[in-house]
Amino acid sequence: MKNVFETIFFTEILQGLGITLSHMFKKPVTYRYPFEATPIQDRFRGIQYIKTHADGRTKCVGCYLCQKVCPSECIHIETDCGPNGERLIRKYELDLSRCIYCGYCEEVCPVDAIHMGWEWNTVASDRSGYVINMKTLSMNYKDNLEGNWKNKHLKKKLVEGVQQ
Amino acid sequence: MVTVKIDGKEVQVAPNTLILDAAKEAGVTIPTLCHDSRLNPFGACRVCLVEQVNNPKLQAACTTPVTDKMEIITRSEKLSRVRKTAIELLLINHPLDCPVCDKGGECTLQDLTYEVGVTKVRFDAKPNDTPVDHTNPFIERDIDRCVLCGRCVRICDEVVNIQAISFLNRGTDTIIGTSFEQPWNCEYCGQCISVCPVGSLNNRIYLFKNRPWNLERVKSVCGLCSCGCTVDIDYEGNEVFRMKESPAEGINHGYMCAKGRFGFEFINSIKRQSEAVVKAGGESKKVSFNEAVEVAVEKLRKVKDTAGADAIAVVVSPRLTNEEAFLAGKLAKDVLGTSNLFSTESEEVYPEATLEEVENSDCVTVLNIDVTESNPILGLAVRHAARMGSAPLAVFYPGYTALKRVAKKFVTGNPDEVRASMESYAAAVAGASNEYSEWAAKLTKAERPVVVFDPYNKADVKIAQDIKKACAKVKVVPAKSKNNSVGIVDMGFGAKCATEFAKGLESGKFKAVVVLGENLSARSVWTKSASKAAGLELLLVTDPFMSETAAMSNVYIPVATFAEKSGSFTNLEGRVQSIEKAVDKGVNTDACVVSAIAKGLGAQLPADANAVRGMIEKEVPLYSGINWDGGVVSYPYVFAGEVAATDGKAKGKGRFFLYPASLRLHSGSFTRWSPDLAKVYGEPMLEIGVEDAKELGIKSKDRVKVKGEGFEGEFLVEIEKKVSKGCIALPEDFVATAGIFCNGKSLRADIVK
Repeated sequence: MKNVFETIFFTEILQGLGITLSHMFKKPVTYRYPFEATPIQDRFRGIQYIKTHADGRTKCVGCYLCQKVCPSECIHIETDCGPNGERLIRKYELDLSRCIYCGYCEEVCPVDAIHMGWEWNTVASDRSGYVINMKTLSMNYKDNLEGNWKNKHLKKKLVEGVQQ
Repeated sequence: MVTVKIDGKEVQVAPNTLILDAAKEAGVTIPTLCHDSRLNPFGACRVCLVEQVNNPKLQAACTTPVTDKMEIITRSEKLSRVRKTAIELLLINHPLDCPVCDKGGECTLQDLTYEVGVTKVRFDAKPNDTPVDHTNPFIERDIDRCVLCGRCVRICDEVVNIQAISFLNRGTDTIIGTSFEQPWNCEYCGQCISVCPVGSLNNRIYLFKNRPWNLERVKSVCGLCSCGCTVDIDYEGNEVFRMKESPAEGINHGYMCAKGRFGFEFINSIKRQSEAVVKAGGESKKVSFNEAVEVAVEKLRKVKDTAGADAIAVVVSPRLTNEEAFLAGKLAKDVLGTSNLFSTESEEVYPEATLEEVENSDCVTVLNIDVTESNPILGLAVRHAARMGSAPLAVFYPGYTALKRVAKKFVTGNPDEVRASMESYAAAVAGASNEYSEWAAKLTKAERPVVVFDPYNKADVKIAQDIKKACAKVKVVPAKSKNNSVGIVDMGFGAKCATEFAKGLESGKFKAVVVLGENLSARSVWTKSASKAAGLELLLVTDPFMSETAAMSNVYIPVATFAEKSGSFTNLEGRVQSIEKAVDKGVNTDACVVSAIAKGLGAQLPADANAVRGMIEKEVPLYSGINWDGGVVSYPYVFAGEVAATDGKAKGKGRFFLYPASLRLHSGSFTRWSPDLAKVYGEPMLEIGVEDAKELGIKSKDRVKVKGEGFEGEFLVEIEKKVSKGCIALPEDFVATAGIFCNGKSLRADIVK
């Protein structure tokens, strides 16, 4: 009986039309990338930053653990002995074109220096900018801290995560 | 033999064996921290505690000898609890700065912490925090990390016998330090670094440069002095990061000296040349390897055609491998057809005693050589014999050396007096009755007597020969200076006297000279005639660096150092040992140069070390069937013939006796290019006694002029307690001093302010 009723009055079609109609009044769930930015979650793993002390010195001690743990071998470190017998980082390079954003470097860091940031856009017309050094990584920290993101959609609330 | 049961395994060991060694026999590993098999038992760390069945007390395995029917348990719950606590107690004061500590990754304490499973220390952690000591140019001392195992103190005392460091204070205040907190008074051998289980004593040359897990390692042989120490070369990419001992391996038992441990930096030096240089018409031009070889070949051919093969000479340095020296000989004899093969070495004296025989000797005599400086590992062997084996040691040297502490008799004075003493000692050995009869009797009565002497000093060779003749059981050690001083002689470069080459240069007999690795200007036999080499038709020089001779050359080819090639060296015992290639600096080896020249002249010579070894085994009878990694060559004789008696008296006139001193962390050509060794002794220093310096009114670091018959030079002064009155000393292997010692080994000179 019900079947006959549905066949005669096309109720299923109307049901479908109803769902479509209801969505016309809802907010869209898709984003019109690249004209519109996608949201970033708190635990998103983007381009790394390295924390600095208050006086601007890097927190990194050059222990080579991130270089060792990195599965894609994108970190290259060179250290040396400074003039006063201190540990000196001659070179800290991170090749973003190789990085797989696994976050192992963040996990292994014994001094809480390297972190995964929220910035992710590395699109460029050539590869020269992909290898970033300690200076850029420290600047990334500042940008993450102050919320100077290139991607305008990164909300201020993420800044709190950086300060932790 | 006694029977012991370790973890259920029964083993038979000699009585008085330590539990630790018995366990090793049984295949059981007991963790240790303060133990070193080369040192006396100490028992400081309590990590090796084991249970003995029916004994309520725990025993330290590294200090307790086994008894018959002993039953030992090395793994139990109680023991792991005890070991864990021992480590936890160490970690109270040990700062956990593993990320920045150079030892991180190869630290015994780190390994033990993982092994016993300490994740949290139950006690209040009070990490030490005192400043790091940088007073030693090679050794960084961070007493915070010290676990007071005493290994450094013991090795400095028992092996090196310098006692530079010791325990200071008592109880919880105990630290490792120098006497009265003064700067290190030390030989810079770095033995303490090699035994430190934590990062308390660090190598300042390697400090913070890399981490151990990044480094690759090859086992090779040190290429500096003629001791032939087995070393590990640690490298990453094409850079050598450190040279360290192969623990308890090789003839050196894992000991090394300052030169080997800290002087390797010349391999990475930025002063190394990478391009060949050809000089024509006063203009030098950088060319490729092949072009340089072409020029050399053309000139060699021209000289051979116009002036004959006898106008060509080949000079090799003792830095070359056996294979390279053999190839150079082949090139000269078979391809060029000349018999003019020269080196600083001669076949007058061949090695006899091995280092092991020196260690186990029961009477040692050292004739006129500062053996702890020139051949440090031979020096350690002498010390071992004198201290551990309590062999009577007699030393003859103008001025005290580091052997003073262990020598039962130290004869010093001015060089002439020392020479006279040595002569009467030799006469006493032969049976004469004089003041040395008592000492000579010790030598003649001993079962395994050893005499160490300087083979480069004719007068000393004569005395050594006299002793050997009078007492046939005496084994002599000619303390040759360079890594392959013995090997190049075996390859045919010792037959002609070095002075003949100087004469040939002076007379203009030689038109083309091939110099492989040698620096003519820095060798006292050749320094006077070296300038003559500049005007030759061809002066081909191969050297890793632009040495004084290389700068004079008209064809210069940069070549590899010992870390960049394979081959073998023959050390002062006559032991042939293989070296391994570690890095590649983009330059050719001497073997490649010789092979390329031979090819240009229409002959085929292999450059590969293995192929050359086959040829050597066939053509050099001494090396037929030799084991290339550790085989000892059996020489037909020790002294070639009756050494002519030379007048050993100091030449010239002057107030002071001038003699060639210890090399002071240098062994000549290579170590001069090491920036770290140069920091300590960068230029030749004039050593003078305290009294004489006071009389003349000169202070340390003053510049004074030394003037004698036919020489003059200006040097920095270093006041040394050990130098005898009326004597001054200068190192020999510098260009500035080679010009002085070409006049003789013992001279008289005046000091002009």
